[in-house]
Amino acid sequence: MAGRDVVFRVKRYRPESGGKPAYQEYRIPYRDDMVVLDGLNYIKDYIDPTLTYRWSCRMGICGSCGANVNGTPRLTCGTYIRDVHKGTVTVDPLANFPILKDLVVDFDDFLTKLASVTPYIVREESGDLSKEFVQYPEDVEAYRQQSLCINCMLCYAACPVFGASPEFVGPAASALALRYIRDTRDEGADQRLARLNTKSGIWECTFVGECSVVCPKDVDPAAAIQTLKFLATMRHMRRLLMPGAPSR
Amino acid sequence: MAREYPWRRRAGWWLQNRRYLAFQLRELGGVVSAIYGLIFLNLLRTLRAGESAYTAFVDMMRTPPILYVNLVLFALLVWHAVTWFMLIGKSQPIQFTERPLPWRAVFGVNVLLWIGVSGAVVYLIFGGF
Repeated sequence: MAGRDVVFRVKRYRPESGGKPAYQEYRIPYRDDMVVLDGLNYIKDYIDPTLTYRWSCRMGICGSCGANVNGTPRLTCGTYIRDVHKGTVTVDPLANFPILKDLVVDFDDFLTKLASVTPYIVREESGDLSKEFVQYPEDVEAYRQQSLCINCMLCYAACPVFGASPEFVGPAASALALRYIRDTRDEGADQRLARLNTKSGIWECTFVGECSVVCPKDVDPAAAIQTLKFLATMRHMRRLLMPGAPSR
Repeated sequence: MAREYPWRRRAGWWLQNRRYLAFQLRELGGVVSAIYGLIFLNLLRTLRAGESAYTAFVDMMRTPPILYVNLVLFALLVWHAVTWFMLIGKSQPIQFTERPLPWRAVFGVNVLLWIGVSGAVVYLIFGGF
């Protein structure tokens, strides 16, 4: 449908200028099948090539195009303009992260936290690596939900606890830790729970639940963290009451 | 290296959406439950101090300003309890069924149990024996 315009109010930050982030408005034509990312691409292609933002797959898989759209963390490739605009679409960089430029934020802190929970299958070196590790459908089902995480960081942008305490390991890293703990091939549960059973780990979470609300893949990190609290408590009690017993 | 602009949280972040507001009220309800605990402890203290101290404290608690404050505190406490029951169903670390139960079902059962136990307590205090 031609002839309709929408105003994009985009937060801009130019690190070389030394100034504060400020909004810049762009009026663009739009159709009902356009997503917010299409709008940003239109601005970059036809109005202002200096606008900077991340994107890649355009299909909700890469997780790189996250931004706060009208105050809510969303994937811009999965958010239709028709669903969010009332004349204006306000696009901010994801909350709770330092801004590098315009809508691009610094994720380095998250990557450090993700590495701290060993997000891969851990095997004891002395184990027999020649045999096949068979998994049945129910084994996969145990961690399928958490394995859908695409590291888009929307959950961190929605988490007020992370906003107040940046040392908090956060929702996505916790969900991915549970994904590997629940994997029958994995033997690294003990080291992950040791990392997470700390003040900056899962106990920082006060179960606001907004991480699960904004998650575009229905990973439900809030529930994952509560499960980890249970597992960490059981591990602690086992170590207390049965020292020397296997941790899992 | 380019200069990053640090994140700064707005003071009114919890007014940004109704879920943040609900969470803040839930947390406030937690503080209120502690206040109720202190009131109850003070009640026990005045009970131990003698009849006149106890009567004075009860009379003070019956004054309109204190009653209004108590109404607000009680509403927050109920909100804290209800939202806490809502959370039980949203995290099910122990599953007795193949798939997690719908959170509304868990919430409903817990609320029914809560009402039942509260009714039994009220009956014991005011109605029975």
